[in-house]
Amino acid sequence: MRGVPGWIAAAALVVLVAATGPRAQETPARGGTLVVAISADPGHLNPAITTSGATHTAAELLYNGLLGRDERGDAIPDLAESWTIEQAGAVYRFRLRDDVTWHDGTRFTSADVKFSFEEVLLKFHARTKASMSSALAGIETPDDRTVVFRFKQPYAPLLLQLDATEAPIVAKHVYQASDPQTNPANTQPIGTGPFKFTSYRKGAEIRLARNPTYFKKGLPLLDELVMRVIPDPGTQVLALENGEVDFLWGVPGPDQARLKADARFRMAQTSYHPGGSNCIMTVSFNFERPLLKDVRVRRAIAQGLDREAFLRQVLFGEGRVAAAPISSEMAWAHARNLTMPSFDRAEAERLLDAAGWKKERDATRVARGVPGIAYGTRLAIDFVHFPAFSKYGELMRQQLGAVGIDVTPRPLEPAVFAPTVFKDRNFDTNVISYCNGPDPEIGVRRMYYSSQIGPAPFTNAAAYRNDRVDALFDLAGRTVEREKRTPIYRQIQEIVVQDLPYYWLVETPTTRAWSAKCGGFKAWTGLFAEAAFCKR
Amino acid sequence: MSARYLLRRLAQLVPAVAGIVLVAFVIIHVAPGDPVLALAGQHGDVAYYAFMRAKFGLNRPLPEQLVVYAANVVRGDLGTSYVHGRPVVAVVLERLPATLLLMTTSLLASSLAGIALGVTAARRADRTADLLVRFAALVGYATPSFWLAQIAALTLALGTGLFPVQGISDARQAWTGWRYVGDVVHHLALPALVLAANELALTTRLVRAGVLDALTTDYIRTARAKGLPEPAVVRHALRNALLPVVTVIGGRIGMLFTGAVLVETVFAWPGLGLLLLSSIQTRDTPVLLALFLLVSLAVILTNVITDLTYAWLDPRIRYD
Repeated sequence: MRGVPGWIAAAALVVLVAATGPRAQETPARGGTLVVAISADPGHLNPAITTSGATHTAAELLYNGLLGRDERGDAIPDLAESWTIEQAGAVYRFRLRDDVTWHDGTRFTSADVKFSFEEVLLKFHARTKASMSSALAGIETPDDRTVVFRFKQPYAPLLLQLDATEAPIVAKHVYQASDPQTNPANTQPIGTGPFKFTSYRKGAEIRLARNPTYFKKGLPLLDELVMRVIPDPGTQVLALENGEVDFLWGVPGPDQARLKADARFRMAQTSYHPGGSNCIMTVSFNFERPLLKDVRVRRAIAQGLDREAFLRQVLFGEGRVAAAPISSEMAWAHARNLTMPSFDRAEAERLLDAAGWKKERDATRVARGVPGIAYGTRLAIDFVHFPAFSKYGELMRQQLGAVGIDVTPRPLEPAVFAPTVFKDRNFDTNVISYCNGPDPEIGVRRMYYSSQIGPAPFTNAAAYRNDRVDALFDLAGRTVEREKRTPIYRQIQEIVVQDLPYYWLVETPTTRAWSAKCGGFKAWTGLFAEAAFCKR
Repeated sequence: MSARYLLRRLAQLVPAVAGIVLVAFVIIHVAPGDPVLALAGQHGDVAYYAFMRAKFGLNRPLPEQLVVYAANVVRGDLGTSYVHGRPVVAVVLERLPATLLLMTTSLLASSLAGIALGVTAARRADRTADLLVRFAALVGYATPSFWLAQIAALTLALGTGLFPVQGISDARQAWTGWRYVGDVVHHLALPALVLAANELALTTRLVRAGVLDALTTDYIRTARAKGLPEPAVVRHALRNALLPVVTVIGGRIGMLFTGAVLVETVFAWPGLGLLLLSSIQTRDTPVLLALFLLVSLAVILTNVITDLTYAWLDPRIRYD
């Protein structure tokens, strides 16, 4: 792990030890049933045609990627046993395992990989399509066990885009000559993964059974795995406490202390989620709104916000104040010791005064000579957010009210939020859980790159344009060596912290919880129960 | 009641259904939100959205979409779910039994218990039993079902360990035969109880008031004067008292479905309520339209059935 700062590696180790500590005392045993609570009915079980967290949570154990990911987020072999990088990163050659069969007994070959990318992933998997399709020149299969990816120019993030979350491999003999979105196999899947499909009762549960011919010898340990649909997070916790389920993907903040104190349960924090990893709650400033064009106003908002209060009151301490625009979980790209705007109400007030926003008797500010703003206009902004993030709105209103900014929170459900912010651009500020993904090319570039300004959702919400930042992202994207990419991302972060198109509030890892009778979970991957066991 | 009347009532369904389809279609499409953006989640590019819009026909003008949809409905084709990728009819039908079971059990339990409690209270008017029933009914009517559901889960399930808090069956044991039936009944108990609570309170109050009223009428006085035994007297009074109750129960099918959405969410009951909730969140328009159609049809048909029951309860009522 070259280039990883020591303190972050140490912190990661502490989290891992905390996560694995209880397991170390338990002896893995074969057999048993694991019941996992999932929040939504996935609708179908084909993770290659969607980025939906519901489908990926329920279905990734049925599949594999060419590569997997270890607890540090680095690529490890999965369906491919080895790889070489040629032509400075423009060509990637993968050697596949020869002992892999599909759940129906058919042999897995390189043709499956080529088909999965060309006919399924690059058409329907929104993330893979968005990041890879324009860069890829072609995929070749010189023989049954070799796959070659050729790119138009060096392409850095590929190795982190090949796991079951980003690029699950589906069977060519099942999907060829059909519409991948309506193929019956989407609800009766045939994969290569550690578990085989048994049954799917819509809206209720998905039952999986051990794959006895799984290519990783001795795995999986469980006989059966049941995914139980329980939409209400409170009911999920009750079901765990009542012994009805064994594993939760997340625990609401108010319930965490209770479960932590109960010896019947184990907990671990992770930043991985099948729907998006390494997420940071981020305030966007709409650069198209005149009052937010002045960096002093954006800085005043940033300095008027006490991020520690967000961490305590909204997340119940589950997370970290963001120390840089890129997640600290992506240690090699995260800029250490960056000077971020700090909470300082007096400085925020001084900046607003200097920008021409003067405090009146009722404590709100009005424009007194602000360029482009009518004289006497009140300093009022709206704050658009998902209903689930309403506490962020309350704190924004309260904290910015103290420096004379009138904030109106505007809750919009996700299906309305996306077009309002990214298509209509009808907002002043908002809060978004931007997930950085496994590589900045996947989840960070889209926030700052000038060609990523709408209408696609969760792109450059601020409408930020900076040629220098664009050029640096281009450079980082075609630089394959990680140690050379680190200083490029540092430069980017230094620039955006000065420009402040966003303000990065808190990193939001989630807490997994499970019955102490079970163990062996890999919280950092979609194949989380590949080596899990439960004692009965 | 003539067959002609029945046919006429059923024929009225046609314009009603057409109106429902039109109104539901317009409301859903005019409301903000975009199914393709909801489907794509955090990522995607412009070409992907254009491709998905064309695939679902969302790039066509709204009137054209309506005509295509209406023509398909006439042929019995309610479309394909955006999220599930399967015909809507299949998606809805596989969830229907769970909701029917929950609603029927709640309706039966609340109606029977409500009649029993209402009669008991009326016969002991202003005595302790009556006061207790009236107080309980008032509390039951005023308690929101989502709150009651959580309290029931905490006390009756987690507190006693007697009931499960979620699902329609045991996740660890895939029972078959009568053991499966028993397992489902065990899981049904709490959600049905919570959903029934509100209806039970209303039915109790209505029956009590109706029976009290009937007990003071001349024909009851005559019956008593003739020496009719008290249970037979109450039976006569009850038959008249039930008329408004039947009307109210019939009219509350829609409300019961609303309650089912909340109760199904808390207890993870895999029925139409959960499907409705997830379809709203993902803007799965074809599923939403089908659910509107189904619930509206259920309300209309229940009203027809209510009218028929009315005539059966009161032979003086004639339809022609």
